[in-house]
Amino acid sequence: MESKMIKFTSSCTWLILLFASLVTFSSCEEEYIPDTNAAEQEIVVEGYIEAGEGSLPPYVIITRSIPFISEVNSGEFADLFVRNADVNVSYGNQTVKLTEICLADVPENLKEQVYRFLGLNPDSAAVDICIYADILGQIKREFGQKYDLKIAKGDTVLTASTTIPQFIGLYDFEWQDTPGKPSDTLAELNCKISDPAGENFYRYLTATGKNPRLIPPFTSVTDDAFFDGKDSLLFPLQKAERRGQKFDPETFGYFQREDSVFVKWCTIDKVHFGFWKTRDFAANSGGPFSSYTRIKTNIQGGLGIWGGYAVHTYRLYCPPK
Amino acid sequence: MVSQAIMAQTKHTLSGYVRDKASGETLIGANVFNVSNPGQGTTTNTYGFYSLTLDAGIYNIGVSYLGFENQIIEVNLENNLSKNIEMSEGVIMEEVVISAEKEERRKNVEGTQMGTVELPVENIKKLPAIFGEVDILKAIQLLPGVLSSGEGNAGFYVRGGGPDQNLVLLDEAVVYNSGHMLGFFSVFNADALKNTTLIKGGMPANFGGRLSSVLDIQMKEGNDKNYMVEGGIGVISSRLTVQGPVVKNKSSFIISGRRTYILDLIQPALKGGNFEGTNYYFYDLNTKWNYTFSDKNRLYFSGYFGNDVLKFRQPNRDFKFDLPYGNKTGTLRWNHLFHERMFMNVSLIYNDYKFQFSGGQDDFVFKLFSGVRDWNFKIDFENYPNTNHTIKYGVNYIYHKLTPNTASATTGDTQFNTTFLPKYANEAAVYILDDMKLGQKWALNTGLRISAFQQVGPYTSKLDGKEFGDFEPVKTYTGFEPRFSINYKATNDFSIKSGVAWTNQYLHLVSNSSSTLPADVWVPSTEIVKPQTGVQYALGFFKNFSNDTYETSIEVYYKDLKNQIDYADDYVNDINQEVEDAFVFGKGRAYGAEFFLKKAKGKFNGWIGYTLSRSERSFDKIEGGRWYPAVYDRLHDLSVVVNYKPFKKWDFGAVFIYGSGKLFTPVRGFFFVEQNINLFYGPRNSSRLDAYHRLDLSATYTPRPDSKRKYQGSWTFSVYNTYNRKNPFFVNFDTNTDFQTGTTTIEGTKITIFPLIPSITYNFKWNQK
Repeated sequence: MESKMIKFTSSCTWLILLFASLVTFSSCEEEYIPDTNAAEQEIVVEGYIEAGEGSLPPYVIITRSIPFISEVNSGEFADLFVRNADVNVSYGNQTVKLTEICLADVPENLKEQVYRFLGLNPDSAAVDICIYADILGQIKREFGQKYDLKIAKGDTVLTASTTIPQFIGLYDFEWQDTPGKPSDTLAELNCKISDPAGENFYRYLTATGKNPRLIPPFTSVTDDAFFDGKDSLLFPLQKAERRGQKFDPETFGYFQREDSVFVKWCTIDKVHFGFWKTRDFAANSGGPFSSYTRIKTNIQGGLGIWGGYAVHTYRLYCPPK
Repeated sequence: MVSQAIMAQTKHTLSGYVRDKASGETLIGANVFNVSNPGQGTTTNTYGFYSLTLDAGIYNIGVSYLGFENQIIEVNLENNLSKNIEMSEGVIMEEVVISAEKEERRKNVEGTQMGTVELPVENIKKLPAIFGEVDILKAIQLLPGVLSSGEGNAGFYVRGGGPDQNLVLLDEAVVYNSGHMLGFFSVFNADALKNTTLIKGGMPANFGGRLSSVLDIQMKEGNDKNYMVEGGIGVISSRLTVQGPVVKNKSSFIISGRRTYILDLIQPALKGGNFEGTNYYFYDLNTKWNYTFSDKNRLYFSGYFGNDVLKFRQPNRDFKFDLPYGNKTGTLRWNHLFHERMFMNVSLIYNDYKFQFSGGQDDFVFKLFSGVRDWNFKIDFENYPNTNHTIKYGVNYIYHKLTPNTASATTGDTQFNTTFLPKYANEAAVYILDDMKLGQKWALNTGLRISAFQQVGPYTSKLDGKEFGDFEPVKTYTGFEPRFSINYKATNDFSIKSGVAWTNQYLHLVSNSSSTLPADVWVPSTEIVKPQTGVQYALGFFKNFSNDTYETSIEVYYKDLKNQIDYADDYVNDINQEVEDAFVFGKGRAYGAEFFLKKAKGKFNGWIGYTLSRSERSFDKIEGGRWYPAVYDRLHDLSVVVNYKPFKKWDFGAVFIYGSGKLFTPVRGFFFVEQNINLFYGPRNSSRLDAYHRLDLSATYTPRPDSKRKYQGSWTFSVYNTYNRKNPFFVNFDTNTDFQTGTTTIEGTKITIFPLIPSITYNFKWNQK
């Protein structure tokens, strides 16, 4: 329901834009070159700690932001990674130092596995990605536990905290014909959730056999304001589409029949939710009437997110009609 | 001797209505004055009534109104005298119409009111208009101190204030959303309107509830002498107005409608396709009826109904939605004259603004609703004890119901609703003002408005969970709003004015977009949202030249604003959240200088307005309270407006606009998360788009201007943005990552929306007489 609602509200925005473009029947464009290019670089943290079935080991990617310039190539990409930082994760009275690994250093025959393991896109082979990870599996990952991150690089210190909340799962997955004129090749995925009373926050990602990389839908998070404490709430899960692909309302959000489907369902804490909520909103809005949205961060001294996930990856099969 | 002295001290009152001879329409703001001493003068009120009390004697009374031939009537004031005056339209506004020209009363120099501009609708009709759609709100944007909220937009900002700080009144009813089609057109159909007054500073005490300005629009009353039909066929819309007497010289009506049809025309092309049934249009209907019972009693009813309708249909997916929104207003007024010097008006006003969205697919139905509904009751008295005083006082009570964005969704048996309930409030005000003359040189307008606003139940407190029953007070705010302005008339054609006004505002509209959208929600002051308050200081110099052919003024102002409202910069538009919970509160200041040169008379007339101004805001929760320029800030703003009528058959108009570019928040850089690009931004409003400039031209051709036939037609040709200037409307950022090659591009483009737009409109008029 929530995602349908989102589909509706976003189609409302979309229509306002369409409507605006009717007005602006003959708009024209010209390149915009900003006055100043010499913006300072910020340190950007992308780190996750997960618990549950199909969870990934904790890792942190530290990069620098890119000033507004028109093009960044692969060499410059590699320079964005912040190397040789001191990265520690603390919980309870434990502190574990993460180890830096760069994919270029990984033997060729293991690369594919490492990519899978980290949930990274093998397409990004052209870029040498460096991450800090708990390669020895020292961190005990538990629901309800708070994890602090501390990054030190020279004089710069960044800190952040997150919690892996209790997991709230999905059940009763079912495949339905697409609305309107049913299609032989597409289906809508529905499932149920029983939301416990109190504030809960959810995020999900999907992948398919044909496209095995897990990606989030355009609106990837929700709170439970609409269904707080509801039992057996039936709602649809949208197939996530890669950003930058052409929006096709005919197929949007539907799964291909006779394909395997993966749904990574996560519960997250409020701060983590705030990051994705503003990020998704910032990425989805645009156009003549929208204002800018600053993406929330929980990183003291930088940008990005240190987020805890309670996860479960469901493996499903979309049957033929 | 003695009896003569007593005679001289006895005062009598000349009073009555000033009307247009041809239609019987009352004229608002007409000058009525003693020709041998123009300081002894008055202007007609909103209902065309005047009252002038003078010593007993014989007078030449001058009556003047822009666009009409001046009149001098001789009166012998031995007793109170009731005299209705009928004026004829001037053929051409020649430099000299009245013989005793220099004796005319100069309203701009004489009046205490500052920052006030009256624009008769007939003058607005002569200006070039985009798509040929005559638009009052776009015309007032050509005045100094008034900015357009965006390219081609009817939204406006006055002296650095927000769009919600303008009180827009149509026959006293508040119009909460004055734009059609995302604000590109205003809801005011010029054919139905008579007069527009904009007060941009030093609001007199009879107005309140907004900080920046009052835009007071009056509808025509209808011709009470003969039937008339007029209309126009334009590129995107057509209009038709019918008016005439119900009972000759006693009662009249007017009905005026307008509708767009551009998408109706493509309906056949959509038939059978994926979007069959998709349509968009807007319409307006204005009507007014009045009945004159006697010289002492007159009753008016006026109504406005307007809607935008967007229908989206995708039949093959069973997907559809409707997005209608619009205003309804109704005003019932009773004018009563107690005696020659005491005028009363009682108004009962209803207005309703609704924004709705309803759509669905299969058995899923989604609805969104927001709105404002008011019941408003007013009593206003005007008292003219002598030529030195005009005293006004009155009371006003409004019952508000404001519905925030409420959403509901159903699938089969399952149903969800947002739990937000409408908010209710009482708003009340009492005021008194005295517009007085102190000798020949000084005039003072002093007023006091006391306002109160009370949020009432049903309501559950968000602060302590306390429940409030129907009409039970939740939170009460009061406002003490003194208003002063003073005029020193140094010479007959030069005066210096100064004023200060405190104002309170209890209803707010905050937009997260760069322009106001119909989905933006009005919210009341509540236990969480405090009233906005403002004080404005102004000083002005007013000088007329060449027998009042040229009027000039320089006005400077400073505004101090408190409890300003905005969204924090990480705000996410979310139907799960009430907007007031996302507000941040701060302060503002605005200051500027306005220069105005107007040629009021002659075949060649028009004006030049230039404004140099700043408007800034500071919010603790936005960049730590840094003062930043508001989106309403525009350093330079220049308008040149020219009307030229070289021949009887041709009327030419030109408008040139130059303004500093609009502010926006620039992208500072980008970063990656989940291998997707994210933008991050520099300080709020720290960049400016290129300067905006544009030239519009129009020509109106009337084939038979002197024809005595009942039917008359004219063609208006206009060109918007004549030299096709590419004015940037906004900057769009597009990012693209190619992981195969490992490159990312980020591109900013300036988007222009309105190029050169030619248009043609045919206007017609049929007059029974």
